[in-house]
Amino acid sequence: MEGGIRAWNGLRAAGPPEAGMAYFDGATTPEELIALAWMLEEGACKFYREMGKKEKSPDAAALFRELSDDEEKHKSSLLGIYRRRTGKEANPGFPRSLLSLESGVDYLEGGVVLNQALEWAQGKELRDILDFSVSLEVNAIDLYIKMERKVEGGEAKEVFQALSNQERNHLKRLTAGLQKDW
Amino acid sequence: MGIMDYFKPVDTWSPDKVRQFLNEVSPQDYNLVDVRTPKEYEEGHMPGAQLIPVGELENRLKELDRTKPTITY
Repeated sequence: MEGGIRAWNGLRAAGPPEAGMAYFDGATTPEELIALAWMLEEGACKFYREMGKKEKSPDAAALFRELSDDEEKHKSSLLGIYRRRTGKEANPGFPRSLLSLESGVDYLEGGVVLNQALEWAQGKELRDILDFSVSLEVNAIDLYIKMERKVEGGEAKEVFQALSNQERNHLKRLTAGLQKDW
Repeated sequence: MGIMDYFKPVDTWSPDKVRQFLNEVSPQDYNLVDVRTPKEYEEGHMPGAQLIPVGELENRLKELDRTKPTITY
């Protein structure tokens, strides 16, 4: 690409090359990747849900609620693929039991701790929240493209591909939100 | 095959052309390679880009699917 990354004025993901997994030790098997994706969807779901409660603008609140609902559906897709791959239901410790993570801490893309993000969001303008959400979605797209490459099995690849496309749609909605006069 | 042969079919594209391509083509149908250092990659990279520092490129060409177009930066 002419001019390299300096010339690229599009969105950028951040984080190390190991599919964002350097933050979470040991996520290498397909089941662990699914568990990691589920956990990050859960974090995003909770973040958007809280933003939906916090926002005073009805339209902005609706946007965040819809994003939260979508992330909930993504969790279901991931659980479905987990069940089909392993032939069993996820145990009550899922996903942490597969990821060796401390209990009670929720994470977002890029290894951000959910509670810290929620604390940060207090008193922030809608534009700041949208900006942060855009960065979450860009990193989610980055992660899913890499997971799709890494995971074996056609169905799992299709799920990660579909998730990547759906997060792209979220990204479009959020960037449109940044242009909007709320 | 030398390293330059591998990239022969790829022209230099403007960022706008790359953006248009990335918007229209599924990530499964191209290789997007960041040839900078891991630190630079970590600070910010194009979504979905695979890190292969330029010094490692020759030895890691097998990681790329030769049947797909490759974009490097």
